[in-house]
Amino acid sequence: MVKPIFLFGLLLSCKILSQITGNRTVTLTLPVVTLMDVEPAGAISLNYTAPTEAGNAITVPAANTTKWINYTSAITASGAARRITASISQIIPGTDIRIQAAAASGSGGGTLGTPSAQVVLTTAAQTIISGIGGAFTGNGANNGHRLAITLTNNTYADLTARTNTPIVITYTITE
Amino acid sequence: MLLSLKKYVKKISLSVYLLISWEIKSQRTLTVGGTNWVLNIPAITEAGTDYAGTFESAANEILLGATVPLVLGSGKVSMHYEANPAWNSNLILNARRTGNGTTSCATCTITGGTTYTNIPLTTDVELFRITAILALAAYTNIPVQLQLTGISVTIPAAAYSSRIVFTISAL
Repeated sequence: MVKPIFLFGLLLSCKILSQITGNRTVTLTLPVVTLMDVEPAGAISLNYTAPTEAGNAITVPAANTTKWINYTSAITASGAARRITASISQIIPGTDIRIQAAAASGSGGGTLGTPSAQVVLTTAAQTIISGIGGAFTGNGANNGHRLAITLTNNTYADLTARTNTPIVITYTITE
Repeated sequence: MLLSLKKYVKKISLSVYLLISWEIKSQRTLTVGGTNWVLNIPAITEAGTDYAGTFESAANEILLGATVPLVLGSGKVSMHYEANPAWNSNLILNARRTGNGTTSCATCTITGGTTYTNIPLTTDVELFRITAILALAAYTNIPVQLQLTGISVTIPAAAYSSRIVFTISAL
């Protein structure tokens, strides 16, 4: 009885001593990320120009294309794509504020969003970019989606003289 | 009759013992020490940016011990990784040997693996080799550093883990 135990012990020792493989693990967690901002910071001004000739309409300002939307988005494998909406704080009677996001450009990568057609902004959020997956646009101006913000007249009769009317455009990234 | 049977059994036992002893001495062995690598990825704080794509472990994250018997002359340490259980193929693992470890064998050599080598999935790739010259080559605390590249928000958010398997074998 002793001999088999002795031999078993020897075999076990042999097995232990002759180990030829081993391992270590590498672990990491990539979290869900949802970040968006508009670059560069600061307000823009869109000013109508008064006519100098009687009978002419006021001149709408040129589109402002200085703003870029940057975002970083990480979603789970089964996560819903993100979209970016925009809304304004108030409507100016007689005037439409329109926005159009361009296709993403710059140093980004991943599943970048697809711009919607031009949107007339209201106080209700409307989608301007959709289909954002795991992606990053790059940071700062000239990265991401360039925005074209324009003022147009809708009902001329509703226009009233006003100065420095602040309008806040709110951008939101959401699922 | 009984006496000769006992002698026969003793001889058999001795033979088995010798065989096992020879087997022990003639095996290459490998021990894997150090620590498992747990990456803490810094959070992204600026919209538009991605993770820094490359991370390195401590230079001595993994400590290998390897022996090569004189009778076999040489051996190589290879590696591969396995998903444990979830991994993403865009996450690229590399490893390098950052030192020679410790050995009492003045004539033995350890070569290769001092620059990063990609760790493939499933199929072994050589990291370094050991040569025993006129002695048992026994190295301990051979430091190995790991590198992970390809970390990006474009990879689905999840917990990932892989197992790096080191193996010692003939050249």
